[in-house]
Amino acid sequence: MDFDYFSIDAILAENQKIQCTFKHEIPGMGHLGGGSERDIAMLSKIQIPIWLAYTIIYSDWAEFNIPTPFGSRVRNALKAEACSVRLSNLVGAGGLWYGFGKTIMDILSDEQANEMSDMLSKTFRDRLPEVIDQAQHFAVLGQAGAGGSSANTAQSFREGLDTSERELFSLAQESAKRTKLWYEDSGRSKH
Amino acid sequence: MALPLTLRSSVTPPELELVASQQLIEIVPLISMEKTAFISGAYGPLRPPNKAKIPLWIAVNLKLKKKCHIIAPSWLNVEFLQERLTLETSRPDFSSLPFRFAEAAKVILDVASDDLENPEKIRSLLKDLREARQAKSREGLKTLDHSELSLPNLCSMEINEIRPYFLQSMSILTQLVRNPISDPTHRNA
Repeated sequence: MDFDYFSIDAILAENQKIQCTFKHEIPGMGHLGGGSERDIAMLSKIQIPIWLAYTIIYSDWAEFNIPTPFGSRVRNALKAEACSVRLSNLVGAGGLWYGFGKTIMDILSDEQANEMSDMLSKTFRDRLPEVIDQAQHFAVLGQAGAGGSSANTAQSFREGLDTSERELFSLAQESAKRTKLWYEDSGRSKH
Repeated sequence: MALPLTLRSSVTPPELELVASQQLIEIVPLISMEKTAFISGAYGPLRPPNKAKIPLWIAVNLKLKKKCHIIAPSWLNVEFLQERLTLETSRPDFSSLPFRFAEAAKVILDVASDDLENPEKIRSLLKDLREARQAKSREGLKTLDHSELSLPNLCSMEINEIRPYFLQSMSILTQLVRNPISDPTHRNA
C-alpha cells in the first residue's frame, strides 16, 4: 500500500466518494451531483470522489463529514473487537478500507487526523496476528483441508479482509508454504 | 518487475541452503585426495584417517559416495539442543544459535544421519526449537512497529520466512501512523 503517483491502490482509494456540503452557490456545476440541475445550491449535499474533493475542500468551497466507514458506529465496533468487523464490506470498489482511511486522513485537520491514524493503525495491529495465523494455518492445510465447517468465525474474518490485508495473507501463506516444503523435502533425490 | 510478488522480498529456502553449504565442516575422509583448488579456496589434502575441513557441499557429495564421515558440528547434538530448547521455552528472547543452523542441520541430517548420535531425537528437538521460536516471532508481530524491528538471534531461515509479511506490514503501518514522534504509546524497543 504505497501512495505514489503510479500506485493502482492509491487511484482506487481516491475513487471513493465522500459527501460534501457546499458553502457557496456554484453556478454551472450541477452535473457534479449527477442530477439535472444547472447550479449547485448553497448547503446542498453532493457525493464527490476524493480526488476532486481535495481541491474543493482546500479552496473552501465545501466541507465534508467523516464518511460512514470511519464513523462512530464502526469506531465502536472496532474498539469492541477489531477482528469481527468486516472491513471489505464497509467500502466498495475492492475494499481498500485502509487506503480510503489514509486519503481521508490526509485532508483532515491535525487533531482529527491523529485520531483517525490511531484508529487505523490500532485496527491494523489488532487484526494482523489473526491474518498471519490464518495464512500460516492454510499454508499447512493445503487446499484439501480448507473447507472446514467448524471455522465459521475464521471464514467470516477472511471474507472481511481489506485488500492490503489480503495481500499480506497471500504473502505469509506463500512464504510459510515454501518454508514448510523445504523442511519436509528430504531433497536427496537430486543426488 | 517480472518476478512473482513472493520472490521479490526474499530468497527461497533452497537458495539459503546453497549459501549455508559454503560453510566449512569437519570430516574424516575415507579416500585420499591432493590439495585441490576451488573458486572459494583450496581444500585438502585429504589423508585418511586425519580429519579435514572442507565446505559442506563437498562433504555432502563425498558422503553420498560413501567416501567420508561427517563430524557433527559442536551444536548438533542432543545435549546442546536440549539445553537451547530449555532456554527457549523458559525465556522470552530468542536463544542464540548458529545463524544458519537450520540449513546446515537439515543437510547433515538428510545425508549423514548415520554419523550422528540419536538422529531422531535431534530431529524432534530441532522441530520443537523451530516451533518455540515461531511462537515468539508471532508475539513479535503483535508489537510490530512502523519504524523499527529488533529480533536478535533470529536465524536466516526464520528471517527469510517472516521477511515478506513483516516488511509489508511495516510499510502499511508507515502509511497509517501519522505522527511517529507524538505517538509514544505504540513504540516498543
